[in-house]
Amino acid sequence: MFRKIAVVAAMGVMALSLASCGGSSSSTASSSAAPAAGGGSQGGTIAVITVDLANSYWQAEANTAKAEIEKAGYKATVNAHGADADKQNQLIDTAISNKVKAIILDPAGADESVAAVQKATDAGIPVLLVNAEISKQGIAKSQIISNNAQGATIGAEAWVKAMGGKGKYVELFGNPTDNNAKVRSDGYAAVISAYPDLKKLGQETANWDRAQGKDKMEGLIAAHPDMTGVIAGNDEMALGAIEALKGAKMLDKVKVLGFDGSADAVNAVRSGTMVATVLQPIVQGTTNAVAQAVEYLKTGKTGVPDEKQSIDCVLITKDNADKYTSPFVMEK
Amino acid sequence: MSELSHAAGKAAAAQDTSRKINLRALMMEGRALFALLLIVVVFSLLSPNFLSADNLIIMTRHVAMNAILAIGMLLVILNGGIDLSVGSTVGLSGVVAGMLLQGLEIKSLNVFLYPAVWVVIIVSLGVGTLVGYVNGVVVARLKVAPFIATLGMLYVARGIALLITNGTPFSSLEGEAGLGNTGFLTFLKGAPLGLPMPVWAMILFAAIFAVVLSKSPFGRWLYATGGNERAAELSGVPVKKVQTRIYVLSGLCAAAVGLLLTGDLSSATPAAGEFFELNAIAAVVIGGAALSGGRGTIRGTLIGAFVIGFLVDGLVLIGVSQFWQQIIKGAVIIVAVALDQLQQTLQKRRSAKAAVSPPKPSERTPAPV
Repeated sequence: MFRKIAVVAAMGVMALSLASCGGSSSSTASSSAAPAAGGGSQGGTIAVITVDLANSYWQAEANTAKAEIEKAGYKATVNAHGADADKQNQLIDTAISNKVKAIILDPAGADESVAAVQKATDAGIPVLLVNAEISKQGIAKSQIISNNAQGATIGAEAWVKAMGGKGKYVELFGNPTDNNAKVRSDGYAAVISAYPDLKKLGQETANWDRAQGKDKMEGLIAAHPDMTGVIAGNDEMALGAIEALKGAKMLDKVKVLGFDGSADAVNAVRSGTMVATVLQPIVQGTTNAVAQAVEYLKTGKTGVPDEKQSIDCVLITKDNADKYTSPFVMEK
Repeated sequence: MSELSHAAGKAAAAQDTSRKINLRALMMEGRALFALLLIVVVFSLLSPNFLSADNLIIMTRHVAMNAILAIGMLLVILNGGIDLSVGSTVGLSGVVAGMLLQGLEIKSLNVFLYPAVWVVIIVSLGVGTLVGYVNGVVVARLKVAPFIATLGMLYVARGIALLITNGTPFSSLEGEAGLGNTGFLTFLKGAPLGLPMPVWAMILFAAIFAVVLSKSPFGRWLYATGGNERAAELSGVPVKKVQTRIYVLSGLCAAAVGLLLTGDLSSATPAAGEFFELNAIAAVVIGGAALSGGRGTIRGTLIGAFVIGFLVDGLVLIGVSQFWQQIIKGAVIIVAVALDQLQQTLQKRRSAKAAVSPPKPSERTPAPV
């Protein structure tokens, strides 16, 4: 009998903790949304679905979206799919069940996300994509991406200049299932191919990850101790490479290029360990996406003629790194 | 030989008919069922949309995939093993289906083969089964610990999926009428009688395996090998055969999920199913199965899958922070298993007491329920 009571009591505690944390989070959401009724809308929820809330890049995206949504007089829910298309599918399903007004989505894969976006659109919920695109047009209301090709070009140009137009280098490649890995790599290659004295010694896939970047770089250092340059598909891998180069005491003669413009990378640029990084205008893109979502909810149109909108990236070198005021924001 | 083991199985089955043991099983499952009811009540109070018919169907569809994997996982866990490769098998079988629908080029003959949809489905189920067979052989014949064997397969199967796709997903799965390979997505996205295909698949798998476990000699052998492998072997149970077969069945379940997931996403992506194995294991243990083997039921596993699925979807629905979601999910798993252990200890103590006063041998035999 006692056991049964103990079991029931334990379950009760669980229920209470569940209820309390659910209650507290929803109360914060409503309290922050209530006073900002300036938009004149009747409110409702806009769902934000991002990739990874433990990564500063997507944190910037999620925080910007949440702030902008609440500023416009709506409630925001924030979730992350972890680049898992199935999880994304489930989050979209739940958003539909929850009868949200709109969805701001950073999609998990160009092909894999089409069905999920279609489902929400079929349910009458406008979906606005930010940061990455899907492989079909005419489903999402907007697809706002940073211009990765342009970003790779300006990054590579700065790096080539730092290299003096010659030398031997290796490349760290992003997650091959992510189209941006190829776009950036191709962008780098297009610039570098004009310099015959720049020789590529090797390439490794490090999946956007700092730890993998370090490991793969250590292997590359062992194989090619004569390298003088590293181009990485993103900042995390570049920072991993810098750690490996530090360990091998080669950092002073190797020029590293990153991409994304994370706070850590800009610090590395400031201290001279990274030659340059390319700021992805994620804050700008997210702000635009929310503004277009709100506009769509009011008028039935996003107010922007094109579904696909690309925003140019900004080069960050030692010269302008001081203008980087908060994560992923450059002062004009 | 088989006659003898059959008889042994029958004897064991006869013992479990005592009402007491059924009551015990009910209590064990009752705990998970209670948790499920609690989740439903709490979330329907917190969100008006939780109990809507649409949402219940959606959540059940989410549950279904994990439940099918968990059914396969239960078979392996009943044997005292574990199958970490199911998530990768999900990805691999989906990718194989995607590849076949794109057309298979045979270079030496310079022809493109476009297999019909039913062939595609059978081949990709076959690939999952093959992965499971390799697991089974490595575990049963080469005596590699299941954790290690299937951990290795987790990497191998994922690697093959990435190799086939070169990292990019297959996404034109509609087929062409002229090639006679249309209907794959229509079939998987169908919803006969209003229930989506994954839910039907879950019902089918659950029904078949519930019967297999409770009525067939294979089921009795499985419980026997999980309870005490040596004793089972001595009483004539084909231990190695049973062991190989469960990994095959687990692979089959994973392949079915791979197909369903491909239908759900309208694309076959090599990254599909990452970490699915962990959710499946969680469902099995919440459902009252013992990781040491010999104890667990399909019913319990289904309830376990519903607990996890409804909990995760409910937390998203009421807008709990993503980080809290993980903490709560983890806590529920730990609490469920801790309660289970507590109950086991108490039960053992009770049956030890019972054994001291009037000697009742039937009480001491492990219950194959």
